[in-house]
Amino acid sequence: MALGEQRSCPACGAANRGDASSCRLCAAAFDTSAPTTAGEHGKVLYRTDFLAAARANQASTRRLVALLVLIGTALGYLCGWAFQATYGAAANATQSVWFVSSWGLWGGSALLAVSVLWTVIAFSNGDRIVMRMTGAHEVSADEEPQLHNVVEEMALAAGLPKPRVFVIETPALNAFATGMRPQRAAIGVTRGLIEQLNRDELQGVIGHEMSHIANWDIRYATAVSVMVGLIALVSDGVLRSMYLGGGRRRGNNRDGGAAILMVLVVVFAIIAPLAAWLVQMAVSRQREFMADATSVKLTRNPLGLISALQKLAQTAEPFKGANRATQHLFIVNPFRNFSEHASALMATHPPLDRRIQRLRNLGTL
Amino acid sequence: MGVFGWIVLALVVFVVISMIAMYNRLVSLRNQVQNAWRQIDVQLKRRHDLIPNLVEVVKDYMSYEQETLQKVIQARNSAVQASTPQDAIAAEGILSGAMGKLFALMENYPDLKANQNVARLMEELSATENKIAFSRQFYNDSVMAINNAVQSFPSNLMANMFNFQPATYFEVAEADTAVPSVNLR
Repeated sequence: MALGEQRSCPACGAANRGDASSCRLCAAAFDTSAPTTAGEHGKVLYRTDFLAAARANQASTRRLVALLVLIGTALGYLCGWAFQATYGAAANATQSVWFVSSWGLWGGSALLAVSVLWTVIAFSNGDRIVMRMTGAHEVSADEEPQLHNVVEEMALAAGLPKPRVFVIETPALNAFATGMRPQRAAIGVTRGLIEQLNRDELQGVIGHEMSHIANWDIRYATAVSVMVGLIALVSDGVLRSMYLGGGRRRGNNRDGGAAILMVLVVVFAIIAPLAAWLVQMAVSRQREFMADATSVKLTRNPLGLISALQKLAQTAEPFKGANRATQHLFIVNPFRNFSEHASALMATHPPLDRRIQRLRNLGTL
Repeated sequence: MGVFGWIVLALVVFVVISMIAMYNRLVSLRNQVQNAWRQIDVQLKRRHDLIPNLVEVVKDYMSYEQETLQKVIQARNSAVQASTPQDAIAAEGILSGAMGKLFALMENYPDLKANQNVARLMEELSATENKIAFSRQFYNDSVMAINNAVQSFPSNLMANMFNFQPATYFEVAEADTAVPSVNLR
């Protein structure tokens, strides 16, 4: 067996080492004479237990958020610099181009400060609206005993207080979580989900939602969307002021450095919101993979979530109660065609077959 | 104060701050273990309360299974009386085994499964079994976290200084994990 070869289990689909004689997930024996295949990106996946998956996800989320902050500060810096070039001592500013623009530093830190402030405000009153927007109503333990039990089980497994339980009356299959703090969180599921999933599958889905709460994903998403919104706002403002002020300034006698700077600012103002948005989507996808892995950590049963996701993939009935602002909260994207690979970069959720594949590669403890 | 003095000062401040952080982490891990144990306790009590109700409802249907019902009640009573965690773990293991047998036998009684009250009690009891399992899982995860902190360098120095002990895992009894033998012939 060459290094990097793997053998997928004919019974459950889990990836195993090429030299394995039985499946590590379902213990089915292999026909060892059958050929092995190359692993994903040529790598073998036998070390992907859920703890390693969680660590890898945490690291890549951190990189993405750092990238977002970098885009934001760069935008602020460029704006400050452009202002200095236009309204400050122009010659001075363009001479300092290759050094440091003091207004630019102010611009960068101002943008960061505003985003922190805005985030804090969003944290304090962000979660109340969501329930109303999705049309969910709270259910008591008497009305939905099994759902309440499953939620409580997952809360115990995560060591968190039991969140409030909501139901959305729609045949679509979906679930969501919200709440800025684990102490004040809520989980909602659709009626279709309760009716069509068995207990193990429901447990996997609730485990996924509980993971969003335990990993503080709602906060993460809010902070990221504030930063993205701010970048979009500032870029928009820059482009508008260029458009409005362009005619007046065109008559000015300016050196080439300032002109290049203006072009740079315009290009950045066009690219920055797009890049920020792509980063936001990438963060969202990472957190979905993370929540899947954490769900397995809670249930210790990847098969439940796998078969739940398969059911969700088969009944691709869109859920109309969701909108752009709430789509990242759901377990599967409420609008998109699930198998759409072409738009993978712009999706809040990874394609379902990729999520299922990764779950199959998670070993159980 | 020269450069050397500042470096020494910075080092001292760094060490003090990390010692405080390590101490606080150990305290919160210890509290987490205690809280996790209490969660198991809550679920065990709930199971003890539910079992007499279930036995009361099913005993008319399952008159031929008196022995199994007796065993469940006995196991339940000795689990209630257990005082130390070690006794409790052993008694709960026996109770889990007896309950598992009762559940398996109940499969043979279709009228019993059709009974609304029984169905509700069954969901409650199987949910409670799950809750016990999950709170035990969280307890064991917490135990692993504090044991890692107590035994690994450098927090083991702090743990020794302030007498933080490794916690004991909630092990499942032998009878509980043994695969039941099935004879199909």
